Amino acid sequence: MIKKRIIFALLYQDGHFHLSRNFKLQKVGDLSWLINNFGFGITSNYIDELICILVKKNPSTKDKKMFFKDINELRKRIFIPITLGGGIRSVKDVSNYFNNGADKILLNTSIYKKNLTNKISEVYGEQSISIMVDYQKNDRKEDHIFIECGTKFCMTLPDFFKKINEISFGEIIFNSIENDGTGNGLDLEIINKIPTNLKKKPILLMGGAGKPEHIANALKKNIVSGVITANLFNFLGKGLEEARKNSLSCNINLANFSSQIEV
Amino acid sequence: MKSKNKVGIIDYGAGNLGSIYNAIKYLNVDVNIVSSPTNINKFSHLILPGVGSFGKLSDNLKKKNWPSKIEKFVKEGKILLGVCVGMQLLFERSDETKGAQGLGLIKGHFNIFNNSTKFPLPHVGFNEVKHKNTEIWRGIENKSPFYFIHSFKIKKVKDKVVSSKTNYGGEFISFVEKNNVFGSQFHPEKSHYVGLRLLKNFLEIKN
Repeated sequence: MIKKRIIFALLYQDGHFHLSRNFKLQKVGDLSWLINNFGFGITSNYIDELICILVKKNPSTKDKKMFFKDINELRKRIFIPITLGGGIRSVKDVSNYFNNGADKILLNTSIYKKNLTNKISEVYGEQSISIMVDYQKNDRKEDHIFIECGTKFCMTLPDFFKKINEISFGEIIFNSIENDGTGNGLDLEIINKIPTNLKKKPILLMGGAGKPEHIANALKKNIVSGVITANLFNFLGKGLEEARKNSLSCNINLANFSSQIEV
Repeated sequence: MKSKNKVGIIDYGAGNLGSIYNAIKYLNVDVNIVSSPTNINKFSHLILPGVGSFGKLSDNLKKKNWPSKIEKFVKEGKILLGVCVGMQLLFERSDETKGAQGLGLIKGHFNIFNNSTKFPLPHVGFNEVKHKNTEIWRGIENKSPFYFIHSFKIKKVKDKVVSSKTNYGGEFISFVEKNNVFGSQFHPEKSHYVGLRLLKNFLEIKN
């Protein structure tokens, strides 16, 4: 059986990795800082996949070049599936992201661009497309979807669910802008809003994981096939190891990478 | 310690070769990406990677005259590993592209998994591999998780070439070996340290 997943997301902008809280970014360090402080190769025993996102509104070719350069350096020491995203607007962009080491690509702003996901799927297959939906409640507790790094209203969540059959994708990530970076736990209420026709695809949650229990509590839900955290300080190093051990001890169906393998 | 082995990764339009190249570099073994079969004599090991469709990749191999050169390489007792579609190409054919020929180094062919909501296709993600403890599995626990992404599986093959099995709505063959020819349906270069260990074991196999 396919396993559930714990995924780490790196948020990248202008040569630095960032922490995010409610989508406000805080610069924490560059690639050598990341490698020196977190021994990035070692942490890969505790995550199933890595997502690297270029979190910049409409990044230029130069921005993307810098992003790929650092990601390619990271790939020399981490041997797990990698999803790359941020700034993909066309099939040509997609090809560029695959050539720079993506196993899957992540779409956000471009999910809603007519026919783009279908065109990508024709060339690369729908399993290669992860879509990330950034959402937030308004004053009346209605869920709204935002694009362009959370800055622009796109449509309501119910409207999006009505359109879901027009979009080609392999998995869907629900990223709560309100919970992002708070460490108060993931938004589990979203699960009850997901329509049945969406449940045949892998569903992943992101935003708010601050402790190992938060991850386990989400993974315990049948419908949740993965949890994503981007919190560098809570989860790199020992934090990821503890999160994985905790989930495994709750009998969650995760791959067990912990065996001591000598390479 | 640097071994004397030299590895060639066959570049035949089969997608991104960076991950497998990085993995072998990480293991401190000499590695080259080779786009023509003229100089493959210098290699002790060849890797046939593969992301794409069986038919297209089979055509690409033929265009550059790879099949006869790979066959010769194997006949000389040198070591070959096919990964994912590269593994499928070691066989005779696949239902994915009717009429397209594989290398035929191992007898058998591929058909698609039975699709169902419980077991969607492609089969993608980490899944457990139950292996037969042969040399290539040295130091690797039974069962270990490896990363899969595929929709086709071996239909029928001789028992003695089956090296591991995996369950996805029923058992299928996830690794094969026939003397000096190895085939991996999963991606060892995407499977953490356990995948690196498998590659290391492969690189240590001598002809």
